[in-house]
Amino acid sequence: MEYTRKLTDKLSVEQAKIELLNTAYGNDQTFLAKLDPRTLFIWYLFFGLAPWFIHNDTVLIGLFAFMVLTTIMAKVSPLIIFILCLGLLGQGGYLLIAALFFGGGISTIMPLVMLTLKLSIISLASITVFCSMDPEKLSDGLLKIGVPGQVAFSISYGYRMLPSLLEEYHHIFLSFRLRGKAPEKHGFLYIRSIIYFIKIAMLSFYPLLLSTAKRSRTTVEALETKGSFYAFNNPKVKAIKLAHLIYGPRDYIFLALSLTYVISLFGLTRFY
Amino acid sequence: MIHQIEIKNVTFQYPGGMQPVLNDVSLTVEKGEFVAIMGGNGSGKSTLCKLLNGLIPHYYVGDYSGSVRVNGLATEETSVAELSHSVGYVYQDFDNQLVRARVLEDASFAPLNFGYADYKERGKKALEQVGLVGRDDEFIWQLSGGQKHLLALAGAISLNPDILIMDEPVAQLDPYHAKEVYDVLKMLNETYGKTIIVIEHHTEFIADYCDQVVLINEGKVEWKKPTQDALRLVDQLMTMQIYPPQVTQAAYKVGRLLRGNSVTNPLFESTKPYPVTLSEAMEFFSEQQSEEEPTEITQEPKVMEKEPIVEMEQVYFSYKTITRSKKTILKDINLTLNRGDRIALVGNNGAGKSSLMRLLTGLVKPEQGTVTVDGLNTNKFSPEKMADLVTYIYQNPEEMFIEDSVRKDVEFFLKARKVPGYKERVDQVLEQFNLTDLEDRDSRLMSGGQQRRASLAIGVAMNPKIILLDEPTANLDIATRKHITKLITSLKNYVEAVFIATHDMQLVAEWANRIIVLKDGEVLHDGDRESVFTNAALLKLAGLHPPQIMELSRGLQIEPISYTVDDFVNSYSQILGEENKDGVYS
Repeated sequence: MEYTRKLTDKLSVEQAKIELLNTAYGNDQTFLAKLDPRTLFIWYLFFGLAPWFIHNDTVLIGLFAFMVLTTIMAKVSPLIIFILCLGLLGQGGYLLIAALFFGGGISTIMPLVMLTLKLSIISLASITVFCSMDPEKLSDGLLKIGVPGQVAFSISYGYRMLPSLLEEYHHIFLSFRLRGKAPEKHGFLYIRSIIYFIKIAMLSFYPLLLSTAKRSRTTVEALETKGSFYAFNNPKVKAIKLAHLIYGPRDYIFLALSLTYVISLFGLTRFY
Repeated sequence: MIHQIEIKNVTFQYPGGMQPVLNDVSLTVEKGEFVAIMGGNGSGKSTLCKLLNGLIPHYYVGDYSGSVRVNGLATEETSVAELSHSVGYVYQDFDNQLVRARVLEDASFAPLNFGYADYKERGKKALEQVGLVGRDDEFIWQLSGGQKHLLALAGAISLNPDILIMDEPVAQLDPYHAKEVYDVLKMLNETYGKTIIVIEHHTEFIADYCDQVVLINEGKVEWKKPTQDALRLVDQLMTMQIYPPQVTQAAYKVGRLLRGNSVTNPLFESTKPYPVTLSEAMEFFSEQQSEEEPTEITQEPKVMEKEPIVEMEQVYFSYKTITRSKKTILKDINLTLNRGDRIALVGNNGAGKSSLMRLLTGLVKPEQGTVTVDGLNTNKFSPEKMADLVTYIYQNPEEMFIEDSVRKDVEFFLKARKVPGYKERVDQVLEQFNLTDLEDRDSRLMSGGQQRRASLAIGVAMNPKIILLDEPTANLDIATRKHITKLITSLKNYVEAVFIATHDMQLVAEWANRIIVLKDGEVLHDGDRESVFTNAALLKLAGLHPPQIMELSRGLQIEPISYTVDDFVNSYSQILGEENKDGVYS
């Protein structure tokens, strides 16, 4: 009983909200977080794509080690890492079992391990980049590289609304609990209770959609009066808004080091 | 003479509307005025204000005729963006007006959008003006309701407009924060010469802060008058279900009573104007006041057998904040609630009222200690189980609407439990709360008062032993508030105990038989209305604002203290009557 209490504490909507916001806005003090968003985009463009085209296991292992390092540097929330590991292990384990079941041996397992490795590199690169940019920075970065103002604004606005939406969702969810009827017995492996909770978790979205639609009227009017529609198409505003994005030595050093590391990895392959 | 705002013969009908919301409206406002707009629900107050910042006719394109000039600009020919340099607007649901994540970003959003290179300084200046300093980098979801309101206000004045419009500042705030916002408005008006327009039906705030009043009825401007004159039109206001300040009502009623009884009294024979503020009332009534021997208060003996229904023992409660630190909400709470209790839980925002109620529902469990409801320890039972005994009614009724019609919402609980004959029960509840005609409507689209009724109906249909209400009279105009108060009074016939968390001291004074005062998570006092409202130190410590009429009777040292206007009128006319008998004024 005590354990289930502790587990439900960890899994509460409240906790999810805290983790989410901390992931989005929490770590703006790391080295990576102080980089220009464009640096991170360039970096991500390489590390998010290149692994698909690299088939040398030494290089991949090298890249993986580098990604682990940057993930540590980015101070990613443990919950995210946990979810990632769960996903990768689940994926890998399932493929492994399938391979063995259909009579495969070491020869079939190796490519699977490689695939998992590639996926891990890409996932860790994504986590590094997106945990190091708060939504504002991401939005400014996108704006800088030419994404329309509306899209960039939507991203930062979406995050601003997230806590309120989660809170409202939570209230509605609790409303279901306060008036609904939970199964009398938990069932085998809590199956009945789990089904009950999944059901109300889904049902809670509908009222949320309706009330959000209603509330957005004020927001749209406020945006209109605050001149945001005027600003979307005004290059002067864009320049002022993005004036704080400056490419500094830190950015060059980071990109240069990453490049050097990748080149030396390829160099290393000549000897192995 | 050029007026700052000049509305001429404006008629407006929303697209798809059945009739004009504004009907041949003309109004002028001068620079530096502090204007209150009063009127019933749906009378066109908000629509009138949206004329001024150009949302009508640019954003709402309906049938529009007439002309509006603001600061010399014709709104029909000026864009909303341009007009926002002249007019700032703070919405009633100001939370939805905040669009950026951090405080300073939001305050400087408009200056940035209009391309001012010094947008941050402008935002900072606006924050300073409203007194929200030192929080520039905080996230808006870390702010309290009052702070969010100030931030919305800062956003609205960041372009330094000459005119500021605020839609029902008091509705969403507790009395303490409402006063704070009004003080800021007053400062903006006096120090910076801004024209302030508020939509307001709390006449006591109007009397204290505004200098002009506009009355709107069914899309027409009835009049615009100086506040003093406006609020004295008691008859006219009352027929429109607008209640003048309590002290004005009291003077009006005393006068009428005395005239009716043909008791001669110089005070009411003269055409001396009714008081509209507390200090005026003190003067008005104390001319009549002689030294009164305080009459002995005869306490009715309370010999009722007390049967506990809820017991809280050494309860502690805390929650985790976004910064992952723990915040203690309730400390060492020991309470017993008995059958027949009508309890009001009072205290400032953040005192722990909602948390205390949620503990009773089993939604949250105490960190330490036990909560027992009708013999069930909430630690051991799910909220679904506790719901058979306890109903919790949210402060915001919209959060209770989980279905798409009133009827489905009311029957949800009974249907889930497959209660036989639930249909008849639901019919009966709908009837009782006057919702039969609305049963197929989506609850979210109803008016505030209707929503509140629906949320009470949902609660009563659950047939609980205890009903918990969180701020049941917040956000309602005074007429609706009186209606809801009546419904709440009738609740005692269906349940064994009612427990209300509220800022509405009028409700507390008229309804509760037990008052629990919370402060910073601890029980400061547990008594009844005599023990609470006669204890000035306690009221001050807990930040409670008693109704104006109570303040008046305390100020005049009328014993026993009057809780309602009628109480006051009775005690006061008795005093006058006695003095007359003694020939004091003959």
